Amino acid sequence: MLETQSPTTGAPSGSDGAVVRFDGVTKIYRGGGGVRNLTLNVQPGEVFGFLGPNGAGKTTTIRLLLDLIRPSAGTISVFGGDSRRDSVEIRRRVGYLPGDLALYEQLSARDVLSHFAHLRGGPEWSQIHSLATTLELDLDRPIRSLSRGTRQKVGIVAALMGEPDLLVLDEPTSGLDPLVQRQVHDMLRAAATAGRSVFLSSHVLSEVAQVADRVGLIRDGELVTVERVLDLRQRAAHLIDVRLRQEPSRDAFASLPGVTVCTVSGRDVHLEVTGDLRPVVSAIAASDLEDLSVREPSLEEVFLSFYDNAS
Amino acid sequence: MTTPPELQVDAGPTRLRTIFARALREERGALIGWTIGIVAFCLVMLAMYPTVHGNAGFSKLLDAYPEALRKLFQLQDYTTGAGYLRTEVFSFVAPLLLTLFAVLWGSDLTAGEEERRTIDLLLANPISRRRFVSEKWLALVVGTIVIAAALEGALGALGPLFKLHVAWSALTAAVLGSWLFAVAFGTFALALGATTGRRGIARGVTTTIALASYLLATFSQLVSWLRPVRNLSLWQHTLGVDPLGTGFHWWRLGLVVAVTLVFGAFALWSFDRRDLAT
Repeated sequence: MLETQSPTTGAPSGSDGAVVRFDGVTKIYRGGGGVRNLTLNVQPGEVFGFLGPNGAGKTTTIRLLLDLIRPSAGTISVFGGDSRRDSVEIRRRVGYLPGDLALYEQLSARDVLSHFAHLRGGPEWSQIHSLATTLELDLDRPIRSLSRGTRQKVGIVAALMGEPDLLVLDEPTSGLDPLVQRQVHDMLRAAATAGRSVFLSSHVLSEVAQVADRVGLIRDGELVTVERVLDLRQRAAHLIDVRLRQEPSRDAFASLPGVTVCTVSGRDVHLEVTGDLRPVVSAIAASDLEDLSVREPSLEEVFLSFYDNAS
Repeated sequence: MTTPPELQVDAGPTRLRTIFARALREERGALIGWTIGIVAFCLVMLAMYPTVHGNAGFSKLLDAYPEALRKLFQLQDYTTGAGYLRTEVFSFVAPLLLTLFAVLWGSDLTAGEEERRTIDLLLANPISRRRFVSEKWLALVVGTIVIAAALEGALGALGPLFKLHVAWSALTAAVLGSWLFAVAFGTFALALGATTGRRGIARGVTTTIALASYLLATFSQLVSWLRPVRNLSLWQHTLGVDPLGTGFHWWRLGLVVAVTLVFGAFALWSFDRRDLAT
């Protein structure tokens, strides 16, 4: 049975509070590919980013969750219900955007969204209309005449309408221009703030890092690691290059708190700093400074270096 | 100048409340086309009838044909209205046109959505796979009724303009037989499409079996060793028993309905247990 919605957040909870729980899930295709022994969970009010290269098993995981395909081993529970047995009830509370989005070519966006709204037995048209207005989506052109980005907008409205408790989005911003990507990210953050959960996949960490609370890395069908984005950010070293007017003493900077790497060559100093920047900045300010640059490595580099260290 | 969004009048949602409604809507163009085609075919056949009707020369000519040929082409009473329709309309072309339409559509009902990948988004909605298949099947039944009704209407209503008179009940028996044959194979194509997810397989296999069914029933009139197995042919039960001349054969029609329901049940069962379009 599905557990009932909690009245305060609108967010549902399973026995341990997780909205989605994969437990030892395996799905292998005949031609290879699939996922192996996947265990993960998504919490209420959380944006979970699922990161991996194409073909790593992200779409397989998502289609398993929606009961479009069935696991060969393991169990998947959503809202505390079984992904297969309780599938219809689960899908009533899930908004889904497929990675390989296909819409009914002969119909207009208005037809498609009306159709799904009727099938969901619910969302008010005014809400659909306001989502479409926000994304500047023209509802009355036939799908076959729409560009990829515009189709993606139709898919996003279809997923978000009715404010489902769980959003499952496969590469949601692919094909969208940066401005719209940002709008979509804002919508997802707003959904999470309202206590709903988001499970989104991407092959770009920078995107996931912008919206997700936690990131799971999947490679060749196996979940490699799950990290909090906040932890990743704290781990991220700042790369600081300083040029002074005269050569500094060898250990002027090396002994400062947070400095992990310090190389001095002539008047140039290269520092890598994690954590609090203030001691280093103060020291630099007090020195005879000629030039300064501060760079933050991409989270991709951090994440991957972390993964490489961990393995 | 563009109108600010808050001043725009929005047309609101459209209908398309069910998968059934959308299936018919998407097939609308094809339905109209096939209906026009079948009515046009009827008109051509009716227009030629006055040259045959009561033509003693024709009767003599046909009597001179070998019996085998007369049976094969169902040439008995060719110069009467019912006999003419049996030969020219119901012996092959009209039932098979209706069947071809049903097979093409039936194979597309679920497998088409899988091949076009629209199924993912559709089944993200809270509807069971069984409901999806059932509504699609219902659309097939209703859509073929439209074409069958056009067939009956064209022959029954326009026939008298060409001096072709045939009892409505006899005509209805023949059209009902054609329709049941078409729906049976349309459902079979749906079941194969639901099992394999591939339209091509569903179409190829179903068309072959439907043709074999026609050939078995027809040639069993000539080839005695085929006679014991001709009841395996759905054509035999629907059109092989000359519904225009002998009316409704209820147990045979009931048998075809039962077989169709078995195909439908198989479609529900096999679609429910599969991985979709992987």
